[in-house]
Amino acid sequence: MRKIVAVMLALVLCLGVMPAMAEQHEEVTLTFGSIWSSESEATRAPFLKTLEEFAEAYPWIHVEVDWNEANAWKDKGDTLASQSAMPDVFYWNAGGILKALVDQDQIMPLNDYLDDETLSRLIDGALANMTFDGKIYGLPYTNACSVLYCNKALFEANNVKIPETWDELKEAVEAFKAAGVTPMTTGGGDRWPTNMLGDILLLRFAGDEVFRKAVFKEEGGTFMDEGLIAGANAFAELVEMGAFPDDVAALTRDESEVPWHEGKIAMYVMGQWEGGNLAGKEDFIAVAFPAVPGVDSANAFMGGPAEEFAVAAYTEHPEEAYLLCQFCAEHLSKNGYISGAGLPCWKADFSEYEDQIASITRQIVALTNEATSFLLWGNTALEGEDSELLMDQTLLLLSGEITGEQFCENMEAIFE
Amino acid sequence: MKRILSNKWHIMVFVLPTVLFFSFFVIVPIVLSAYYSLLNWTTKTKPTLEYFVGFRNYIEMFTGKGTSFPRAVGHSLLYAGASVFLQLPFSLFLALLLAKGVKAEGFYQNLYFIPVILSSVVVGQLWRKIYNNDYGLLNLFLRAINVETPKGGWLANKGTRLWATFVPVLWQYVGYHMLLMYGALKSISPDIIEAATVDGASGPTMAFHIQIPLIKPMLKVCLSFSLIGSFKLYDMVKILTDGNIGTEVPATTMYREMFKSHNFGTGSAMAMFIVAECLLFTVLLNALFRERADGRTLRERLSGLFRSAPDALPKGADRP
Repeated sequence: MRKIVAVMLALVLCLGVMPAMAEQHEEVTLTFGSIWSSESEATRAPFLKTLEEFAEAYPWIHVEVDWNEANAWKDKGDTLASQSAMPDVFYWNAGGILKALVDQDQIMPLNDYLDDETLSRLIDGALANMTFDGKIYGLPYTNACSVLYCNKALFEANNVKIPETWDELKEAVEAFKAAGVTPMTTGGGDRWPTNMLGDILLLRFAGDEVFRKAVFKEEGGTFMDEGLIAGANAFAELVEMGAFPDDVAALTRDESEVPWHEGKIAMYVMGQWEGGNLAGKEDFIAVAFPAVPGVDSANAFMGGPAEEFAVAAYTEHPEEAYLLCQFCAEHLSKNGYISGAGLPCWKADFSEYEDQIASITRQIVALTNEATSFLLWGNTALEGEDSELLMDQTLLLLSGEITGEQFCENMEAIFE
Repeated sequence: MKRILSNKWHIMVFVLPTVLFFSFFVIVPIVLSAYYSLLNWTTKTKPTLEYFVGFRNYIEMFTGKGTSFPRAVGHSLLYAGASVFLQLPFSLFLALLLAKGVKAEGFYQNLYFIPVILSSVVVGQLWRKIYNNDYGLLNLFLRAINVETPKGGWLANKGTRLWATFVPVLWQYVGYHMLLMYGALKSISPDIIEAATVDGASGPTMAFHIQIPLIKPMLKVCLSFSLIGSFKLYDMVKILTDGNIGTEVPATTMYREMFKSHNFGTGSAMAMFIVAECLLFTVLLNALFRERADGRTLRERLSGLFRSAPDALPKGADRP
């Protein structure tokens, strides 16, 4: 009897000790610099879900999220970087914008933490815009691209054909103008949405190779190219035709999107994340931006893995910060795709979620399956003052203050 | 107490925390900025003497290709002019009106002061809504009276965007200056006002010959605040237009140069220019308002005049 009691007591002791053994990790709190502060952001819900999954998987790592609006975060992040005060893990753009932070020694290379198995789960070329000198400075959570969203209901109601070519786009603009419907919109005041529209026009008219050389300042790159001038002139022509709301140059992205979501605007060029806002709204469809006959660029896309999570170079908990960064990148890639906010850049089996994926997301996937190339947006590919110049010049085009030729002439300054 | 305060060491002990605080948070940053402004400091270089370039940043910020800093300085001077010649006179007019003793004086005081206590973000957003092309109050009103609204909207039209950016700032701080001037007007001895009234002064005569000269020190304060505020204007421009082309001011240009273009050296030079500009105008204002060498204040001179010199009476005023 005594033996049985002794064994039982030993068992009780073991059971009591086991949870303590399981919680051998030290409690750690990490800060996370995030965008998607607005409830209307399509990526907010999948990001929150990702954070919940992380809390479940790593209960000893606590995450304090600093929520910001996208444009405000760019300002705030730049300011924090100047003081070496970036959060442990944070959202950032790839390309030239990332390079500026890398040059300031703000970002921790992840090579020591990434194993081959983890890397193999990424799609091909996913790290191209976040790798410098062989060092990986972030992990992407989405495969981005910009497409032309159309309000199908407005097209049908006004008997207008969804444009497939540049001429059809102009016809559609004319038809909507005549019907009293605002044909297109963009957030001029925030500059980057306008840049997104300008980029796709330059890409369509000049082709991937020419535009790539220009925005990556490669040898032989120039903006004084016939195709690029034609693309900039096409933008000016849209402005001249009155394709946009009268005060478009002053509107923020949020302000410009209000009438679009209310169904008062026919077309909108925006990133794949807009699909999340339009999920379940059958009036909206996503199509490739109209092609330019004679130019082999119909299936070229602006985008690629252009947004990422990075780890601050001076984080006090590099291992935990890497865990958070990698987990969020991979899980948000999946959750974002399921919710319609993005295209996956990490390989995953989505067969059980087929029913949940919105039709507009499927349309974007179908478009990108045909993609011949992805080119990083100009303002992301270019660094610092060059990026600023591109955004300023595109805004001047939108304001009707310069011509396409002047735009290209002024952009030549980046090569000096 | 007198014994303690007469000891210089004791005074030093009391003053030391403030001196340290001021040095650490004001003097040191200015000195460091001056140092950085002489360096070619970008993301690819370090803030060390190895990258010393002398005054190149100062020259480039005015003459460099594509620089918008001269335009930004021009805008800030325009805004300073608007502050001095529109905002302050209007504030003074309101202060004189209120100090005269209108009905519900306290209510109006608070009413004009409300914009000052609001955050610039709130005021900026409010004015963005007022300017909105579709539902903005301004355009709705203008359309109602068949007046054409500017093409491209108030904040984007080439002809209106700069002034549309300035108006909210001018509007916001009218109440602030009004309250300062009103306080000064109310502190004028009633004896002086009474004496002037007895001597026949009233309305504009009272304002221009008695009240305004007597609140000169406060006008100087308002002018200083107004000018310095104009040169370092940032928040409202950032909210209204993000300092986009055509509405840039020195502080927004400096911010972009530093944190967007990552030219920390040139950005520091711009910051130093703003500091120097503020100091210069403060010195100029001091010189402008300096009391005469006789050491008598305006008030003393004025009261002396009223006591002894009949010819000092305002024009048209008769002795009772």
